[in-house]
Amino acid sequence: MAEVLFPQLSEREPDAEGVLATWFVGDGDQVASGQLIGEVMVEKVSGEVLAPTAGQVHLLVGEDQTARQGEVIARVD
Amino acid sequence: MSATDTTATAAGAPAARRLTTARALAEGIGQEMERDDNVVVLGEDIGAYGGIFGSTGGLLEKFGPERVLDTPISETAFIGLGIGAAVEGMRPIVELMFVDFFGVAMDQIYNHMAKIHFESGGNVKVPMVLMTATGGGYGDAEQHSQCLWGTFAHLPGMKVVVPSNPADAKGLMIAAIRDDNPVVYMFHKGIMGLPWMAKNPRSVAHVPEEAYETPIGKAAVVRPGKDATVVTLSLSVHHALDVAEKLAPDGVDLEVIDLRSLVPLDTATILSSVAKTGRLLIVDEDYQSFGLSGEIAARVVETDPGLLRAPLRRVAVPDVPIPYARSLERAVLPTPERIEAAVHDLVKA
Amino acid sequence: MDDKTRLDLYRVMVLSRTYEEAILRDYHADKKPAWDIGAGLLPGEMHLSAGQEPVAAGVCAHLRTDDAVTATHRPHHIAIAHGVDLDKMTAEIFGRVDGLGRGRGGHMHLFDPHTHFSCSGIIAEGLPPALGQAFAFKRRPGNRVAVAFTGEGAANQGAFHESLNLAARWNLPVVFVVEDNDWAISVPRDVSTAISSNADRAAAYGIPGQRIEDNDVEAVYTAAGDAVARARAGEGPTLLEVHTLRLWGHFEGDAQGYRPELADVPGHDPIPAYEHRLTQAGILDAAAVKTIKDEASARVEKAFAFAKASPVPAPETALDYVFA
Repeated sequence: MAEVLFPQLSEREPDAEGVLATWFVGDGDQVASGQLIGEVMVEKVSGEVLAPTAGQVHLLVGEDQTARQGEVIARVD
Repeated sequence: MSATDTTATAAGAPAARRLTTARALAEGIGQEMERDDNVVVLGEDIGAYGGIFGSTGGLLEKFGPERVLDTPISETAFIGLGIGAAVEGMRPIVELMFVDFFGVAMDQIYNHMAKIHFESGGNVKVPMVLMTATGGGYGDAEQHSQCLWGTFAHLPGMKVVVPSNPADAKGLMIAAIRDDNPVVYMFHKGIMGLPWMAKNPRSVAHVPEEAYETPIGKAAVVRPGKDATVVTLSLSVHHALDVAEKLAPDGVDLEVIDLRSLVPLDTATILSSVAKTGRLLIVDEDYQSFGLSGEIAARVVETDPGLLRAPLRRVAVPDVPIPYARSLERAVLPTPERIEAAVHDLVKA
Repeated sequence: MDDKTRLDLYRVMVLSRTYEEAILRDYHADKKPAWDIGAGLLPGEMHLSAGQEPVAAGVCAHLRTDDAVTATHRPHHIAIAHGVDLDKMTAEIFGRVDGLGRGRGGHMHLFDPHTHFSCSGIIAEGLPPALGQAFAFKRRPGNRVAVAFTGEGAANQGAFHESLNLAARWNLPVVFVVEDNDWAISVPRDVSTAISSNADRAAAYGIPGQRIEDNDVEAVYTAAGDAVARARAGEGPTLLEVHTLRLWGHFEGDAQGYRPELADVPGHDPIPAYEHRLTQAGILDAAAVKTIKDEASARVEKAFAFAKASPVPAPETALDYVFA
């Protein structure tokens, strides 16, 4: 089981909140290691969310919901 | 269709891959750049920034500054440079950041890029793609919200393509790059799936991994139906589909046609649909008068006015510059509310 | 400069002038009794280059067939100097199917892929495509260059300034040649332009600039040689301005009432002046001059005969060639 964390996009504000802008996969989908599974934003900076391993993904945060950098936003098992 | 719909295959296999329109477009460009050294991309902020609307994301990293070139704010010079490079056998993709900026460089576009093949009796080709961002709905006002595809389609010598979704965005870009003619590729900012602009869920969808062409000049019937034909393009396709889904339980069965190309225009698909339904609604985010919606109406009526069982309707931007205030902007854009009202009028008539 | 080079310059200028005189005759011959611009074998506007031959001859002497040239609404001398096929060029000017553009382009829209020559009727707009040709050449083996010709009036158009900046910034192998013939139709340079020499504008873009006076073909040849060599060596663009002479009107039919010095103009014709110079130097004599002029006339006659024998395009083909 691997945790998927909200990427660290702001060094100035490591605890800043951002938004889960887009999920490219659905809850329960199979994903490949390194697959682009989502896109996030902190203020005006966007970042990619990649699957850390292959497996089944469980989404813990919904699209357009806020989350903190470093927060667990999904799991792959 | 929600953003989290997937087409999962056999257990253990990754679900079909989904991308935003922006990423699909950039992927199409990247695959062609891998295949052909003659393909280069130039424009403002298309390098490290990846394009203001994400059209060239990741390309600089992959191909370097010799093939992905940030230009000065000199549209006439760099669009013209694209023309000269194309004449000498390269296949440049030149980005005009906002279509609204065409004014500063239109001579190179319509008097040069579009006319050289004809003026030379077919002896000189200009295999160039001019890509540009169009559309409003997010408060960018008069000079940064226009669509203007009617203007480009009106002037002979350039193909005009307008994708509505990620898969077509990639396929049309690949087709445009491979086409030996100048192709104006117009992407609505609202379909790009950008993280910083409210998006319709259809801006993220399955995109095949391999390189493929979506045929230029062929419309798509994206929703078959029998009660009325909605001919539209770009972001308005999504709004039309939303309206169709909403009205289906009420017994109104809309056929929605996504034009995808304006030049060449797939008149046959339009006529075939109107012959079937007898009722036509044209939804066009460009200005109403003297443009695309009038052209479609003319092609139907000059073929056979008897195809129509009711007067045709059109929902477009009334002949007014796009206002800034949200209340005013929403009053002039072809919103789902305006589309739904037009459908009601059309099917009741 | 060796004698052969000097003779070649003279020969090219004579061919060009002979050509323009032939066009002049045919252009006006059938527009009578009252001058109707749309009538006759050569309808439309006609912009002839008499007096400007030194610029074309001096610059194009340094170019190879595979170097690119973009020219303006007044293109004939440049096309001739760069070696565009005279028969096909003439057929195009006459709007015939054997023309460079199958009759579609006419005199202002001559495209010859073989010599990478093109021209257009929009002021200054030939500069950006020349940049593109130079851009393509730079990425390939070899040291090909692009030369963009334009006028002193065009030097105030946005495309001119954008092109100089971008060519300089990207270090493109391009030479800009401004033909300053004093008149942008009826407006003299000192009415339109804030400075006295466009060569001074080069400094604003960080590139070398040079102005050549007196419509002197050998001075043009020398300056152009340096500029083309720089471009071939990868040292980037140069701006040349040549003070030349528009012997005739802006277009044929231009009465030139605005031109106060009109009576003096023929006295400054560069070709008799150069002929005199070469004769003084012992390079030309009356017999050689006659031979050169006869050869030019014969070549021009052949081209005109080819053009007039070529068919007029069929109306049913009017929609062809919009797309490849």
